Amino acid sequence: MTAAEAPMLEVRDLSVAYGVGRDAVRPIDGLSFTLRQREIVGLIGEAGSGKSTAALALMGLARPPGQIVGGQVAFEGRDLLAMDDEALRRIRGRDIGIIVQNPRGALNPMLKVGRQIGNAYRAHNKATRGDSKRRAIDMLRMVGINDPERRVDAYAHELSGGMAQRALIAMALSSMPKLLIADEPTSGLDVTIQAQFLDQMWQTVQETGSAMFLVAQELGILANYCDRVLVLQNGHIAEDAPVRQFFAAPQQPYSREILRLEQDTAEGGITSSGTVKADAEPLVRITGLVKNFPIKGSSKVVQAVHDVDLAIAPGETLGLVGESGSGKTTVGRCLVHLTEPTEGEIRFGDQTLSGLSATALRQMRAKLQIVFQDPYDSLNPRWTIRRILREPLDLHTDLSRGEKDSRSRELLEMVGVDPGLIDRRPQGLGAGMLQRLNIARAIATNPSFIVLDEPTSVLSPRAVVGLVDLLRRLQRDLGLSYLFISHDLTTVRYLCHRVAVMYLGQIVEKGSVDQVFNDPKHPYSKALLAAHLFPDPSQRRVDRQDRRELEGEIPSPIDLPKGCYLASRCPSAKPDCQAQPQELTILPDGRSIRCWRVATGDLADQEGLQHAV
Amino acid sequence: MSAADLMGPTDEATTLPRRKKRDWLFGIGLTIVAVVVILAAIGPWIAPYDPTSVTPRIVEPPPSLGEIPGLLWGSITGTLEHPPHWMGTDASGFDIFSRVISAPRIDLSIALAANGLSLLVGVLLGLLAGYYRNVATGLLMRVSDVLQSFPVFISAMILVALAGRSTVNIIIALALLYTPIYIRLTRAEVMSQKVRGYVEAARAMGNPELTVALRHVLPNSLAPALIQASVTIGFAILLTAGLSFVGAGVRPPTPEWGLMISTGANQIILGEWWPSVFPGIAISLTVFGFAVLGNALERRYDGG
Repeated sequence: MTAAEAPMLEVRDLSVAYGVGRDAVRPIDGLSFTLRQREIVGLIGEAGSGKSTAALALMGLARPPGQIVGGQVAFEGRDLLAMDDEALRRIRGRDIGIIVQNPRGALNPMLKVGRQIGNAYRAHNKATRGDSKRRAIDMLRMVGINDPERRVDAYAHELSGGMAQRALIAMALSSMPKLLIADEPTSGLDVTIQAQFLDQMWQTVQETGSAMFLVAQELGILANYCDRVLVLQNGHIAEDAPVRQFFAAPQQPYSREILRLEQDTAEGGITSSGTVKADAEPLVRITGLVKNFPIKGSSKVVQAVHDVDLAIAPGETLGLVGESGSGKTTVGRCLVHLTEPTEGEIRFGDQTLSGLSATALRQMRAKLQIVFQDPYDSLNPRWTIRRILREPLDLHTDLSRGEKDSRSRELLEMVGVDPGLIDRRPQGLGAGMLQRLNIARAIATNPSFIVLDEPTSVLSPRAVVGLVDLLRRLQRDLGLSYLFISHDLTTVRYLCHRVAVMYLGQIVEKGSVDQVFNDPKHPYSKALLAAHLFPDPSQRRVDRQDRRELEGEIPSPIDLPKGCYLASRCPSAKPDCQAQPQELTILPDGRSIRCWRVATGDLADQEGLQHAV
Repeated sequence: MSAADLMGPTDEATTLPRRKKRDWLFGIGLTIVAVVVILAAIGPWIAPYDPTSVTPRIVEPPPSLGEIPGLLWGSITGTLEHPPHWMGTDASGFDIFSRVISAPRIDLSIALAANGLSLLVGVLLGLLAGYYRNVATGLLMRVSDVLQSFPVFISAMILVALAGRSTVNIIIALALLYTPIYIRLTRAEVMSQKVRGYVEAARAMGNPELTVALRHVLPNSLAPALIQASVTIGFAILLTAGLSFVGAGVRPPTPEWGLMISTGANQIILGEWWPSVFPGIAISLTVFGFAVLGNALERRYDGG
């Protein structure tokens, strides 16, 4: 790229304001940056810092009652903000495409997706209905939708989230825009689909010489696909650095903070969250757990969890990973008996949970806690923090009112929340803070074991760092054991001692974090790790030669195959795999694996998938 | 890390200037409702005449606009031979003004009692129906379907006709008819609340199921029913008046708006409009006041 080449997009002093006069707030205030051809620029910033507002403003749009109040957005030398509406409309969609969050909300539920893509195409190109339909089919095929001839006639509700997202992308790309603005385009997608889509986008940008402005919340996406990283703070760009430089030597305190764990990990592995005795008697032991959900009006069942064995030692963190629908959350819920297991035994200390009376189980809950995924949803919105924290103390202790109050304040201090907030309600607090309150409530009765059900999945990068720190510290200070359920392998690597990989309700591989992350054996673990975007720009996924993925559709959990569940998608499957149910076998290095070819040494390493780390 | 760091910038919406539009409407609603409530408390005492005894002056029209200042002055200085009939008198000689300001006591008590009763029963049944979904609660829903499938007014008439025209019976009839609304509203809200994380968390903490239902789910499911109640009170007043109008309500000569309209209705044709029109205006204003108040409450609730 030569210095003489004019930037494709040049933004100068862009400002967006809500309200007028003294009350006006400016979420975007003096935003300036440039974007060149063949460049993917990532924008990162705190939740609520105005990233989405910025993305819209680049097209000259603002959500009412917001208004663009100043600045320039020069696209190929012409200022979009100075153009009349007619000229702007010609550019939007044809030269600049946008992909917003929430794909299903952005598709019109009354129109077939093919029509919508065709309409977008016909708005900027002369084409007949037939042409535009063919174009829509081509676009759908290009974004990797199987059987586009059929899908072109589907309505939005007939598509899965991933497919709806891809249909939206097809729409944005139908006129081959020179600039694509994407606002967290993969939020809510599974890692494998996310990787597929971003690969495709990366390829399109390289091949067609377009450019992409990518709003992202995940460091992994920035590291793997972006050429430059912009940090949005107080409405303007606080840091603008090439991606390698950003990850190697972040300048802003904010950037340093969100990258701290990554740098710690790169330097010395896990910063110890307490040591675990390898031969310790497990605190929690699950044997043969099965959970089936009956289907209404049918004798069939959904097999959510099928034959799961797990053991967690005191002071240990076990990571449970897998794609959505793998049954990992159900395992966590069965473990605390929020869901009654169909079969199997759960032992906690020296007691079996299923044998307990309702009262005994309730008493047991003081020692056995759970933290849920959505922090906004898991605190009673009508209660003050004081009352929320007092509830477990009311249930499980005989403390006086004053003692409960001081314990509540102590808990807030332990989780790093200002005790001055004790009389506030949860509303209006940030996700990171709310998740800390959830943890404070969970540890109120001094439990020895906590199920953490994707506690970081809705948090901003900085809040994730804070929460990981907190969980480690609590483990060290209180000797807690965790079951950490997550699809985010990066966080699992920061936090866990051992990890179990789940696929379709079964554990396919279980071992130490080092074993599973650095040398995955099971074909599914390999694929999962290969699809994961680790925040390390020196190992970009797009630079890798071999990035084969699992192909085909996930079998339905209602009609599971007789043999190995992965056989239909596995690149190393043999005829035997289809026929033979797989057993979890313990390998000499201590890990367990559910694949006869690996267990018997039939599957040599070079034959398997190239793995990530 | 301090707490302030973690909070990050607060949500954009909280820093936006509050929308003050249409708040004057809320003010009007509140004023009307306040006046009605005050009249219900003291109306009969401040009325210039006894609302249930006749005066010798029959079908006297209300004073014309020109007479009003003189009458006002007269009533202040006490030089009049009898207090003026601000809204005239009806065919029996009742002072209409006294009856109009005394009526809220009966109208509002019926409406409030019926509403309170149906709110209480409806919310509790709604909680049950939403929380436990089985044959019994299914049956409950079908029964309320049947109740709701008749026009409210017709059902109320039939019920009162069967049970007898007493205030208590009117209250029970109205309560019975309004209960399904609250059952349905609460049930829907309970169904969406009971699967939320904080309910799960309460269970995971070791709360007995009943505590979870009463302390966590119920308080968070009340809003729709309470908002509905503020609107329904207005309609209950209308229905009470309606029942009296067709002769299925309170007995004369109780001061009641619907009854007054009904007894005055025959004279409208003779050009004697005042016995019916003044109580009519009173009903309209009252229903309007409650409706506006209910709308305002709903907006506040939606806006968080």
